[in-house]
Amino acid sequence: MLNNTVSAATSAQAPLVKRTGHGWRLGRLNLELRQHMSPWLQALILACALVVGLGISAALLIAAGVKPSALFDEFIVENFSDPENLHSILFQAAPLIFVGVSAALAFRVRFWNLGIEGQMIWGGIGATAVSFYDIGPAATRIPLMMLFAALAGMAWIIVPLWLRVRWRVNEIIVTLLLNYVAFNFLLHLLYGAWLDPKDNFPHSPQFRAFERLPELGFGVSSALVLALIFTALSGWLVMFTRFGFYTKFVHDNDRMALAVGVPIGLVTLVSALLSGALSALAGFVIAAAQEGRLTQSYFEGYGFSGILIAFLARNNPIAAMVVAILVAVLFVSGRSLQVFYQIPFAMVQLIQAIIVISVAASEFLMRHRVHWVR
Amino acid sequence: MVAALKLVGVRKSFDGFVALDDAEFEARAGEVHALLGENGAGKSSLMNVAAGLYTPEAGRIFVNGEEVVLSGPRDATACRIGMVHQEFKLVRPFTVVENVLLANWRGRFAPGVREIERQIEKQAAELGFEIDPGSRIDELSIAERQRVEIIKVLLAGARILILDEPTAVLTDEEAVRLLTTVRALAAGGAAVVLVTHKLGEVTAFTDRVTVMRNGRAVALLDSRATDAAELTRLAVGTAVASPRRASSPPGEPRITVKSLQAARADGHVTVNDVSFYVRAGEIYGIAGVGGNGQTELVEALTGVRGPLAGSIEIEGAGNATGASPERLRDLGIACIPADRFGYGIAGGLSVVDNFCVGHINEGTYGSWLRTNGAAMREATAEAVGEFDVQGVRALRQRAALLSGGNAQKLIIAREFSRNPKVIVAHSPSRGLDVRACAAVHERLLKARAGGAAILLISDDLDEVLNLSDRIGVMTRGRIAAEFEAPADRQAVGRVMVHHA
Repeated sequence: MLNNTVSAATSAQAPLVKRTGHGWRLGRLNLELRQHMSPWLQALILACALVVGLGISAALLIAAGVKPSALFDEFIVENFSDPENLHSILFQAAPLIFVGVSAALAFRVRFWNLGIEGQMIWGGIGATAVSFYDIGPAATRIPLMMLFAALAGMAWIIVPLWLRVRWRVNEIIVTLLLNYVAFNFLLHLLYGAWLDPKDNFPHSPQFRAFERLPELGFGVSSALVLALIFTALSGWLVMFTRFGFYTKFVHDNDRMALAVGVPIGLVTLVSALLSGALSALAGFVIAAAQEGRLTQSYFEGYGFSGILIAFLARNNPIAAMVVAILVAVLFVSGRSLQVFYQIPFAMVQLIQAIIVISVAASEFLMRHRVHWVR
Repeated sequence: MVAALKLVGVRKSFDGFVALDDAEFEARAGEVHALLGENGAGKSSLMNVAAGLYTPEAGRIFVNGEEVVLSGPRDATACRIGMVHQEFKLVRPFTVVENVLLANWRGRFAPGVREIERQIEKQAAELGFEIDPGSRIDELSIAERQRVEIIKVLLAGARILILDEPTAVLTDEEAVRLLTTVRALAAGGAAVVLVTHKLGEVTAFTDRVTVMRNGRAVALLDSRATDAAELTRLAVGTAVASPRRASSPPGEPRITVKSLQAARADGHVTVNDVSFYVRAGEIYGIAGVGGNGQTELVEALTGVRGPLAGSIEIEGAGNATGASPERLRDLGIACIPADRFGYGIAGGLSVVDNFCVGHINEGTYGSWLRTNGAAMREATAEAVGEFDVQGVRALRQRAALLSGGNAQKLIIAREFSRNPKVIVAHSPSRGLDVRACAAVHERLLKARAGGAAILLISDDLDEVLNLSDRIGVMTRGRIAAEFEAPADRQAVGRVMVHHA
């Protein structure tokens, strides 16, 4: 048992007050690696981090001119008492769930997919192509649009995937930069071949009724149901299948995984393709449920939100769904703050960033034990 | 005589585990003082306290009779205490002189690089070796890096020099050279603490020895008045019998390697025309100084790295050259890698995961669509018991928390429970204490008795000599000579050194 402590423990020290000429000091912080931590304490630290993050965010909003009393109103009362608002949250949640699960799947195998927005755009293009060229009968239209969207998203992620596997090109840069290529191609279509002839605005012609995801009543869109189905499937995939078991090894120690016979190439390939497909479905949902046509509304922070959701959910699809709904609250509240207080939407991203930083910082406390010496 | 360094009643725990419990230690100026004990006995922890890295919960530290409080390595340096750690604390892309400057506690750079270079050369000459102050650390060999570490602490003014397992990474020859240097330093008036678990070093090169067990100092002896048996008894508690190799006729060749060539990641060819075979029920040992192509040979045999040329044939499967690790494992190859926590264990994952990953593709733990967690836990619990993996408080605990010896046992449990045909064991006892080492050797011999063909690649010559039926000596990527057991240690050693 002693072996454990010696090999796993390191100690680092930060003298708070250095010894001065007079020889006095306050003491210092002593840091040690934790061996083990109870889930309760972990949850407590995480909760504290969230409280700190939300506190800072609230302070920022107040500084920007929101009354403290209105804060509670805007975020809690309005969102959960008003069915209209609840509806828009659930509506907003669907694409966020897709991008969150997408990022989670890619990050599980350390494929840093920053190209979520590019894949979303291609998902939108793939789905719209089915509508635009009138492919297949009306009954199979929606499934066909989904299929084309997913295929387009997968095709778009193949480039960085191949570059990484074959030439070890960093996928972070490739996926990120390809977003701009995708966006410009989108503009090329919207200002060119797919320009709506009715109003000459740069968006595609409106989808027909059978090409749009229907409302299911009770304020629930079928987009949300689709998102939940894909979340459940992804959750099963990572938690219960052999594939999911392998992803843990690729994430933790890929050299070891290779040596013990984990097919890391295949696992990475499948995870990345699924990530591309799910991002693309987020794009499909925005086109087929929210906008009803292909528009330019893709660079609204979905990529960053996806990363944030996967991070906060520790790459677990089910947890990603929960976090995505909370982020949807933030999105919707952010829009109303924009309207009523003229606070820029960038504030939403700022709040997201603050929460990520506080949670990331709390990991330090989960890994280390800190105590005062003398 | 006042002790140069004295530690009294030191207590230190890590997250509930008591590493040091009322530990005592003293070293005098002018002596080489051995600190002996098994892995985890608390040797390194105690010395880290002396070097100001760990803050003890209780205890006092005296330097030359005066009580000091060390609130960091800087304070220790000011007290003229210097420690050379097992993992060298050098910045690899920096040059020797830059590393020495970085550790310069006086913070004076005024004398300039030239002056420091001169001092390094002077110090090196005094110690009896040469070093180019301008060379980058990553261009140096392990032994040279160690010399840089020693020069670094000496130039910082250390008169109390702590060396943590300095010979673990050295060849026999290099070790003797280092220990001779160390004796010269003590003769010059320094107090040298040699942390070790090698008994031979204690009796041959030190003046006094403190033996530690379970976080306490259990004995302080005159090194010349003791012997290996007494030291073993003190360090281990009970004597450990080394396992015996029973004689049995070997079977047919299980693995045949012909003219194998393999390269490092940088393209440098390090395995050049290696040919050998290993029969069922035999251990074929490959001796040799580390870095002569052993790692690449293991990588080629386990499929991690494709060979450049040559062939690998496995009995019953034919030519398996260039097959993937998955395929080779299916054909019955098992591997104990040298870098245990790098290639053997995924430290962040549970004991169960680490055990089951080796055979999950056989379908024993449910279908690919639904893995059976209960079956996995059950099989792991059974294997943990059978292979005596200790320190498993819960099956879902992270494998990184296991000690080296227990991590190795877990790897062996995973690899051997598949009844492999061929076992590739690379330095399987590196860094393990006497008891864990004996357990690993026993497992290898058991597998041999069970009819497995075992390839044992090790820098530890004694390990190879004791276990192997036949021995090949690897130097510069070739098998330079082969010996039948019992081989003459001197003869094998000569080939190792002369062809290098």
